Amino acid sequence: MNTEKGSSVRQKQVFYVFALIFLICAIAITAVYSVSIGQVSIPFQQSMQIVLHTITNGHLGSLDQVESDSYTNIIMQVRMPRVVFALLIGMGLSLCGVVMQAIVQNPLADPYILGISSGGSLGATFAILVGFGSGTVLSQFGVAFGAFAGAMATSILVLVLSSIGGKVTSIKLVLSGVVIGALCSSLSSLVIFFANDAEGIKSVTFWTMGSLASSSWSKVPIMAIIVLAGCFLFLFQHRVLNTMLLGDESAITLGINLSVFRKLYMIIAALITGTMVAYSGMIGFVGLIIPHICRGLFGSDHKRLMPASLLLGGLFLMWADVLSRVLVENVELPIGILTSVIGSPLFIYMIVKKGYNFGG
Amino acid sequence: MQLVVESLETKLGKKEIVKNISLLVDNQKFVGVVGPNGCGKSTMLKSIYKSLPPHKGTVVLGDIDVLKTSQKKISQKLGVVGQFNEMHFDLTVEQMVLLGRTPHKRLLEVDNQVDIDIVEDALRQTNLLDYKDRSYLSLSGGEKQRTILARTIAQQPQFMILDEPTNHLDIRYQLEILQCVKKLNIGVLAALHDLETAAQYCDYLYAMKDGRIYTSGTPEEVLTPETISELYQIKCETYKNPITNQLGFVYQI
Repeated sequence: MNTEKGSSVRQKQVFYVFALIFLICAIAITAVYSVSIGQVSIPFQQSMQIVLHTITNGHLGSLDQVESDSYTNIIMQVRMPRVVFALLIGMGLSLCGVVMQAIVQNPLADPYILGISSGGSLGATFAILVGFGSGTVLSQFGVAFGAFAGAMATSILVLVLSSIGGKVTSIKLVLSGVVIGALCSSLSSLVIFFANDAEGIKSVTFWTMGSLASSSWSKVPIMAIIVLAGCFLFLFQHRVLNTMLLGDESAITLGINLSVFRKLYMIIAALITGTMVAYSGMIGFVGLIIPHICRGLFGSDHKRLMPASLLLGGLFLMWADVLSRVLVENVELPIGILTSVIGSPLFIYMIVKKGYNFGG
Repeated sequence: MQLVVESLETKLGKKEIVKNISLLVDNQKFVGVVGPNGCGKSTMLKSIYKSLPPHKGTVVLGDIDVLKTSQKKISQKLGVVGQFNEMHFDLTVEQMVLLGRTPHKRLLEVDNQVDIDIVEDALRQTNLLDYKDRSYLSLSGGEKQRTILARTIAQQPQFMILDEPTNHLDIRYQLEILQCVKKLNIGVLAALHDLETAAQYCDYLYAMKDGRIYTSGTPEEVLTPETISELYQIKCETYKNPITNQLGFVYQI
């Protein structure tokens, strides 16, 4: 009996390790595949040589078979930053999804639940329609700044609102998020209503659909530092995240005051989400569905859930980006549409499937 | 470990729930608190383990001044088994019990063989070894509560607070839980709703009414027909059960 149980545990462990290795390999292969497709189609073989050659600084891979010199430029300067962005944002979204679900102890939570999306939209709408500037570069920066400022302002507002009257509880957080979100949405509508700017309204609409089109190496460092620092931090917080699942009362008897950690985690998650929203707009569903898929596969223990969610989130968004570029010829679909279109059937499948009951 | 509570007062909003309560749990004694619903038992226990900080009073556990010590330090000495509560996410029984090691771990420290052994031992004491890999949410009420008890045992506390731990449980599970706690041989302060179990397990009893201690003493001294009538607003007769030789009760409205 006992040895049987022991071996089933070991099997699970082996399955988990293999799953992680598989995900890492899949991410590497997807990255190379992803840079090989686009307006100019570059054969996979050559893309691999170029990527290998560049990252190893010429030690591995050779450029002999590469047909055109411009390929290296296209891959390394145009497409690679976008792939890196997709990976980082996918990781960031599922990270914040896992953290938010733990913070509010609710499987429905996603990175945007605390009004961050509506706040970011309001900021972006304001920046586009009322404006911080009119030059292309400046206005691009203006939208990012507006979205970030809006996202951060709403998170702080939600946090303050839910702290009134003592402890920050999960229910107060969710309700404050809903209220502030509704307020921000109506303010955005107000700005749109009074704006006499068809072009601007179109940009607002595009912005809310999410896009990785503006990725460039110059934006990678900030994104990478914030997302990776967040990932690194939360990878080691599994103990607190696990006790969060038990609720305030039990956590206190285990020596952890959730009220404090909730605030801290929420500020960090808001910072990450705000940065992502600023650069890529709203990309829905990733932060909701990836944690659930990983919970279904590996259980709710955050020690396992977190690394798996990060990798799967990155991989998922990379593929969503690939599809957004190839599905309709010569048109780039907004990635937010794709994540929802892929995400919803997956989610429906999980609802229908009996084995997984959303952790609860 | 000894627990000394002095002039404890707790308010919820403006309403005073716990009014000037003092009590003592001697080394390794099983002390019970009885009283009707809403008399402030839970609130008092929560004030003692600081889930609901009291407005006045002192709580001293061994040599720790509870109200002035960090939650982490307290939870290394004090375990709590509360009323049944719901969870939205699932863990396996083993993961759940492993969380009991939290107070003894630094934030980044991983669980080692010692922790695994302690968890194994706690599972054995609560008869849950075969349930190790089961999902917590799939368990019955009694098994869930045993898992929580196992988690508290894995905490290796030197004192335990029980807040009606056997609520909603069938008789066998009630007895199993209390038997298991009794065997630990540590100081226990327990709110109990069943007077017969209180009489059977407690070395000393406090009876609470309207946020105050109404009376205290050994079960025989406290559980008299007069006191019970006064506490619960019912008619009551007590007798000596001829089979168990323990205190029995007959109630009537």
